[in-house]
Amino acid sequence: MKQNAQPPLDAEMSTTAERFSRGFALAYTGLMRALEPPFAAIQKRVGIKGMAYVFVAPNMIIFSVFVALPMILNIWYALTGSNRLMIGERPFVGLDNFSALLDCKDYLDVNSCKQDRFWRAVHNSVLFVALQVTAMVALSLVTALILNGKLRARGFFRAVFFFPVLLSPVVVALIWKWILQRDGLLNAFLMDGGFERVAFLHDASWSFFWTVFVSVWAHMGFYALILLAGLQAIPADLYEAAEMDGTPKWRVFWRITVPLLLPTLLVVVILSLIRAVQAFDEIYVLTGGGPGTATQFIVQYIYETAFANQVHLLGLAAAASLLVAVVLMVLTLLQLRISYHGKTS
Amino acid sequence: MFKQLKTITGGLMALCMPVAAMMAAANTAKAADPTEVRIMWYSDGNEGDVMRDLLDRFEKQNPDIKVTLDRVPYKTVVEQLPALLDSGQGPDLARVTDLGGLSRHYLDLRPHLKNAKYFDDNFASSLPWFRPANGNKDGIYGVMSQLALTLPLVNTTLFQQAGIPLPGPKATWDDWAKASKAVADKVKAPYPMAFDRSGHRISGMSISMGGKFIDGDKPALVDAGFKSGMKNLVDWHANGTMSKALWGSVGGTAYRGATEEFANAQVVFYMSGTWQFTQFAKTVAKNFEWQAVANPCGPAACTGMPGGAALVPIKATKNPQAVARVVEYFASEPVYEEYHARTLFLPAHAGLAKKGINYVTDDANVKKSLAIAVEQVAQTSPIAFKFQGYEHNRILFNAMISRVNQAISGEMSLDDAYTRMQADIVEGFAAKGIKLQ
Amino acid sequence: MRPESDISMASLTLDTITKSFGQLEILHGIDLDIADGEFVVFVGPSGCGKSTLLRVIAGLEPATGGTIAIDGEDVTHHSAAARGLAMVFQSYALYPHMSVYDNLAFGLENMRMPKDQIAQRVNTAAQLLQIDKLLQRKPGQLSGGQRQRVAIGRAITRNPKIFLFDEPLSNLDAELRVQMRIELSKLHKDLKSTMIYVTHDQVEAMTMADKIVVLRDGRIEQIGKPLDLYNHPANKFVAGFIGSPRMNFISARVTQSSATRVSVSCGGMQDTALPVNGTGLAQGDMVSLGIRPEHLELDAAGDWTLTVDVVEQLGGTSFIHGTLPSNEALSIAVNGQTNVSHGQPIRIRPKPGMVHLFATTEGERALPPSSASV
Repeated sequence: MKQNAQPPLDAEMSTTAERFSRGFALAYTGLMRALEPPFAAIQKRVGIKGMAYVFVAPNMIIFSVFVALPMILNIWYALTGSNRLMIGERPFVGLDNFSALLDCKDYLDVNSCKQDRFWRAVHNSVLFVALQVTAMVALSLVTALILNGKLRARGFFRAVFFFPVLLSPVVVALIWKWILQRDGLLNAFLMDGGFERVAFLHDASWSFFWTVFVSVWAHMGFYALILLAGLQAIPADLYEAAEMDGTPKWRVFWRITVPLLLPTLLVVVILSLIRAVQAFDEIYVLTGGGPGTATQFIVQYIYETAFANQVHLLGLAAAASLLVAVVLMVLTLLQLRISYHGKTS
Repeated sequence: MFKQLKTITGGLMALCMPVAAMMAAANTAKAADPTEVRIMWYSDGNEGDVMRDLLDRFEKQNPDIKVTLDRVPYKTVVEQLPALLDSGQGPDLARVTDLGGLSRHYLDLRPHLKNAKYFDDNFASSLPWFRPANGNKDGIYGVMSQLALTLPLVNTTLFQQAGIPLPGPKATWDDWAKASKAVADKVKAPYPMAFDRSGHRISGMSISMGGKFIDGDKPALVDAGFKSGMKNLVDWHANGTMSKALWGSVGGTAYRGATEEFANAQVVFYMSGTWQFTQFAKTVAKNFEWQAVANPCGPAACTGMPGGAALVPIKATKNPQAVARVVEYFASEPVYEEYHARTLFLPAHAGLAKKGINYVTDDANVKKSLAIAVEQVAQTSPIAFKFQGYEHNRILFNAMISRVNQAISGEMSLDDAYTRMQADIVEGFAAKGIKLQ
Repeated sequence: MRPESDISMASLTLDTITKSFGQLEILHGIDLDIADGEFVVFVGPSGCGKSTLLRVIAGLEPATGGTIAIDGEDVTHHSAAARGLAMVFQSYALYPHMSVYDNLAFGLENMRMPKDQIAQRVNTAAQLLQIDKLLQRKPGQLSGGQRQRVAIGRAITRNPKIFLFDEPLSNLDAELRVQMRIELSKLHKDLKSTMIYVTHDQVEAMTMADKIVVLRDGRIEQIGKPLDLYNHPANKFVAGFIGSPRMNFISARVTQSSATRVSVSCGGMQDTALPVNGTGLAQGDMVSLGIRPEHLELDAAGDWTLTVDVVEQLGGTSFIHGTLPSNEALSIAVNGQTNVSHGQPIRIRPKPGMVHLFATTEGERALPPSSASV
């Protein structure tokens, strides 16, 4: 290789950037030299093939401590009883927790269930998931279609719909609580307009409606963004071909847009389904699960059973969370299958 | 493969060794510092500041002990402290309200105290509250940091504005409910009656109605008296005497007070307790007149629930001597008196109760209320004291508050709620290893 | 091929069509008449506006100004579908999720045509294009050439007044392109429909068109039959664009001018006398002399000298690329094979009557009659 003439190593001649990069290079070499002896020693012990495990080890340790271990612990908690935290103090009860959870005369009548709260939460969650996912997909699709069209200040509107996604769930809930509570903004407007005050958060149906509304409001931007990307991936000339074919607008939507958006749409459905099953934070702050248990969903049930009640029923909560995990696992597998399918076709 | 892994692990451990050695060295270096005593402490009012002030004085007198006051929200004490204690972690001392429920973690200070007799003489009525069922029969497992009593606080200005006289000292729950509703209707206050959303707060009324709660060491929640207490709550929510906006805004066993609403003069009658005095002295100030009133009467009694918080030593502490010195200092008559005088709490100290405490306040509302509170302690039903000292009372509190709320919101009938309460209690006891049926 | 009654042909008239995108004017007033059954090719370098013009005709882009009439009916403000045209896109724009059959039938379904009629039309078109075996496949399972046929088939089934092709062969490889070119020409003869075809490839234009429209910078440079454009380019641009290999251009100065003859000096060589017919050129005027490579021949007695740079032997034809004494490049195409080699000076001469003169003024018009002489 041809040697270029070395620039003078005079510190005064070099720019800050050069000095910085030289410093960085020096630090890097220093670090590498410092790491050399211990790693060489390890390699001497474990051999060159073993080094692979050494390098993977930090990640594996983090994974086992923060993912695998809690999962195993959760299974163990589910199989043991009492309110004790320490595993050694918990008596083994087999599947008692599961059978207690599933002890129902009629799964559609929560009052016939031994763990009526669990089943109330399940029923609420199922209804919530059905309504929320439907509303989420429909509204985010409409939003994406509008944002994909010729619109004034399109960038502005795209940002507006995405902003709630950036808010912390607690902030979202507090904002809406402030709007919806008894002396909130919305009631103030209603009363100014000569209407009666409405118990938005203390009437079971209203408060269920608002949990759906607020969670859709908070996350819709995310899904609209995914759908927007999907819409933009549809080649424009297909629409022109359809235009030349004299296709009516609604037919273009159902025969061109929807089929070509289907893989994206399915991902959105599955993602929002999983998120809806996990719904907790906004709702817990917004309604606390009330009134009564009208907006108590499955994750809140698990949390309260395990931690908020004075007697911590850890086993029951662990069993419930395993059941939810199974449901989520099925949904996730479904998503993987669909996205894999989408890629191959 | 496995052998290989073993060698790898060995190599990694060799790597970690110097780090461990350094940490060990750091630990030994610390030994020369003063002994640290950590207190987990929550506050309703100014008691944290007062305590810190008193502890500063203690540290000056005892340079070999350093007391760290970890101030936490009440929720932390309720939800996280039990887990910490179960795992053998936790502070050396804690301010708790679930006196019985956590008692198996407490330390008997008797062997470490200089003057245990002082405790026997002055704290006899409250010491059993936090004595574990299988503990030492004369053990000293802590000291009350606040004696509390549930009682109603009334916005007297609203009564004056409505032109309705305050019901007298022997007035019934029915009288108060009607009067509060009438006042609220007249002055357009949104909350005629408000209760803290807590099983403890609604227990006093049930005892007054004839509820017994326990039978020996077994729970006996549902009886005629209890039922009429619960029925009151459901009826009041139905007829607007109580607003669903308060209890309905949370679910489960979650606590929901009405302090803000009371301070905003939206509540006529607020069933809370003595611990609110300092707070209202600050938040209400001179905006309106309020006072504590005698607990309304039922057929059986006119009682509130005693309660309060205790400063309890934790068994896992490494420095029981230092902990004992901190507790002995706090419980000593002059310190204890100053603490209560400044926090406006009721003392659980027999000598001080007899002597009377010269409270540091010039708020007329507070002065009037404290006088009523002291009177009310004497009026408190023995059932209430017994129930308060019952180790498993929290299980009952939880069961009643969560289930009565479901009845109030219309999810289930009151009869179903009673059935569920009993099932919850069986479940809770079972988790503690006690079979009820 | 098709029943006589089905044939629908149409004429197209463009009157001062302009098209702007914002401030940018792409088409500057296009006037054009296309007769029934004509195969018209729009050709020009990229960015000349030929595709835009096609899209304006299709109705995919509204015209900024001017009128479009089909069979005398003003369709300027009609939607794309209402104009009754069909378009074959460069990317084919097949609906990827539909079978070939559904792709062909889609436009007919839009017209609510009965199912049996649709089947009949689709099958006729499929047989015509030899894609009848592929009807159940999805576009993703077809080769490039097959997709091209499907795209054309989709246009055919709609039985349009005019076919529009937007560079339809540019995504195919060279061999397939030649084959499809021939098939398209055949198709035009069979269908007898009016077709408008956009390409940047002058070979496609020359081979397929009844009429070529040469566009540059949003203006029509010349309209005419392929050989008319070859023989009589209206200006230097058309002369350079039509014909392969490209016409040579040499700058020249008029040394002598009379009513019937003009002499020019060019290439640093002695004067060349050309027969003309009233060019209005004066002595000393600068002109551009154009001569196609195939119109130069080797001749030891030739007046022009050339230093050979490169020789390309294709067997049947040979190209000699060289430099004139003036340092201008010049290419010659000779039939058969040649033995001239690099560095060798050779003598050449233009075939009589094959030299074009172009003005050096704006527009670089061809100067008659040299352009008229054959």
